[in-house]
Amino acid sequence: MERSGEHDVGPQRYTFARAVLPARIKSLPFFRLAAIWEAFRVATGSLRANKLRTALTLMGIVVGVTAVIAVVTIIKGLDQTVAQTFSSQGSTVFTISKNPQIIKSREEFVKFNRRKDVTHEDAEAIERLCSACWRVGIAANAIETVKYQDQKAENVRVRGIEPLTMFDIDGVNIDVGRIWTESEGAAGRDICVIGPDMLKNLFKDAPADRAVGQEIRISGRPYVVLGVLEPLGSIFGFSRDNVVYIPYATYQKAYGARRSLVVFIQVPAAEQLEAAEDQVRTVMRNRRNVAMGEVDDEGFALETQDVFLNLYGAATSNIYIVTIGVAAISLVVGGIVVMNIMLVSVTERTKEIGIRKAIGARRKDILTQFLIEAVVVTALGGALGVGTGFGLAYIISALIGFPLLVSVASAVLGVGVSSIVGIVSGLWPAWRAAKLDPIEALRAE
Amino acid sequence: MSDATLTLSPTENVIRPQAAPAQVDGHDPSMLISMRNIWKTYQMGTEKVHALHGVSFDIPRGEYIAIIGPSGSGKSTLMNLIGCLDTPTQGQYWLNGKNVSEMDDDELARIRNQEVGFVFQTFNLLARATALHNVELPLIYGGVSSSQRHDMAKQALKAVDLSERMMHKPNELSGGQRQRVAIARALVNHPSILLADEPTGALDSHTSMEIMDLFERLHSEGNTIIVVTHEHDIAARAHRVISIRDGLIEKDERLR
Repeated sequence: MERSGEHDVGPQRYTFARAVLPARIKSLPFFRLAAIWEAFRVATGSLRANKLRTALTLMGIVVGVTAVIAVVTIIKGLDQTVAQTFSSQGSTVFTISKNPQIIKSREEFVKFNRRKDVTHEDAEAIERLCSACWRVGIAANAIETVKYQDQKAENVRVRGIEPLTMFDIDGVNIDVGRIWTESEGAAGRDICVIGPDMLKNLFKDAPADRAVGQEIRISGRPYVVLGVLEPLGSIFGFSRDNVVYIPYATYQKAYGARRSLVVFIQVPAAEQLEAAEDQVRTVMRNRRNVAMGEVDDEGFALETQDVFLNLYGAATSNIYIVTIGVAAISLVVGGIVVMNIMLVSVTERTKEIGIRKAIGARRKDILTQFLIEAVVVTALGGALGVGTGFGLAYIISALIGFPLLVSVASAVLGVGVSSIVGIVSGLWPAWRAAKLDPIEALRAE
Repeated sequence: MSDATLTLSPTENVIRPQAAPAQVDGHDPSMLISMRNIWKTYQMGTEKVHALHGVSFDIPRGEYIAIIGPSGSGKSTLMNLIGCLDTPTQGQYWLNGKNVSEMDDDELARIRNQEVGFVFQTFNLLARATALHNVELPLIYGGVSSSQRHDMAKQALKAVDLSERMMHKPNELSGGQRQRVAIARALVNHPSILLADEPTGALDSHTSMEIMDLFERLHSEGNTIIVVTHEHDIAARAHRVISIRDGLIEKDERLR
């Protein structure tokens, strides 16, 4: 009955009485890897054995994570689009106009309409008096239907600009052909530079050089195409290439001189923006006879692109809040479902728990087993949610037209948060399992 | 409760297999199991029910012993105590030199894992696991590395002549084979005692004899075996029989 070694198992004689416990059990780590792997095996086995139940249990988690992933991915894509769009003009440009881009109320609308138009003279004064300004230009827009032979493009932005640096301020570049010369522009000739959408809509996707030299008609007035611009892409599904640039002098001839225009001012670097804004504001207040400090109405609108970015930021942060609410509710409901199923699972497997305890599983072994089962369910739900969330974002991005940014961080977050839901909702059932009395558990059927 | 009255309980009259009876309050370190004045009391509503009334006995290493008694005799309670599934309300229990009567849940779990090999009437195998995995289970909770675990489990299955059926699940095995898997599981961790609770209760008489033969062989190889049963012919295979009635040891006789 002598045993020569701790695990010396003779092939013939199977003796197992022993005088001294081996040292290994005195230094057991808190969590044993083997026990955790066993728990994982058991968890996946039991989930496989109850496929429908597992699927239904997953649902709440999947919905919650899908919502978060889809919205985060979509908004990240939009963010990038917005950032690219506005960096083409950059944060070095601001405008003076009669009406601001966003009118919040009827009263404002009435008030703004009483203002004096912003004129060519205003722009000249700014150019003359503002030392911090780098480029000054004017632009006026009209929305028109453009025709070429029997082809027709609707809702085209016809943009009259002066001087030629307005192309640079707008951040557009010529792709094929040329822009007009200064003398051509000053003469108010019927010439234009078209955005790439015009090729598609008027010239049946013909190569750009085929459009150059052709004559298009806007409100019955013929314009010769001098060049085609490089594409800028679209934002929120609205193309920024659906445009025709004409000289401002020509615009005046076609649409009259009495329309209010927008003055564009560019500074060399963002740091000079504030100084330039102050100078321009002073110039404009003087021209409108508005005393400093009087705040009721300056008589003009000075805006940077921040206006739009702020509006966009406010809109997306609202979307984020709503989504987080939806996700939180579905994760809580999902967690309750998981807890319920885990309680069922513990009851069903009382006998198994008894067997495991009888052969030496400690409380923490049983606790770990059921916690891991809960976490496997919810992490699986989280992973599926990440998948469907990206899928949904992919479909929506393809429909609206913005880049799909698959972020690893949001995927990790989705699985991580759902795992935490698993731990939280699995804790109580697992604790109940862990403190079962082995004798009573063995008696269960 | 006063020790003086307790020491006069009928357990004092048991026939001890050893010549010199150990002190009732102390334990005999040469014994594998040493129970001293064990009481187990359950609270049933307002009433206290004594399942065991001060039981004392010793079991030396290498013995083959049967505990027999009708249902309600306290025999199951005694088995749960011996197997460290439960602790006595009062009294001392030394198993392999350790006082297990005051251990907490996790310490008991460790003792069960290291010192006790259980064999149950209904086998109590995990239905979804293979025979090999069932046998590995105590080693998993014992923290044995996976390669060593495999070897040990295979050895144990070989010892019960089930090497050919290692990868079968319990529902693919006969009753006798299942019980042999359970015995392999009980053996695999080299426990101090093999504790069998009605091991043949779910088997036909032919298979029962096979299992009893296996116990006999394991005993002859030096193992300590305790069989709890209500069947006299099963008890008769043991070398010593302790009869329990009404929570007391009624008889303690040596058969061979």
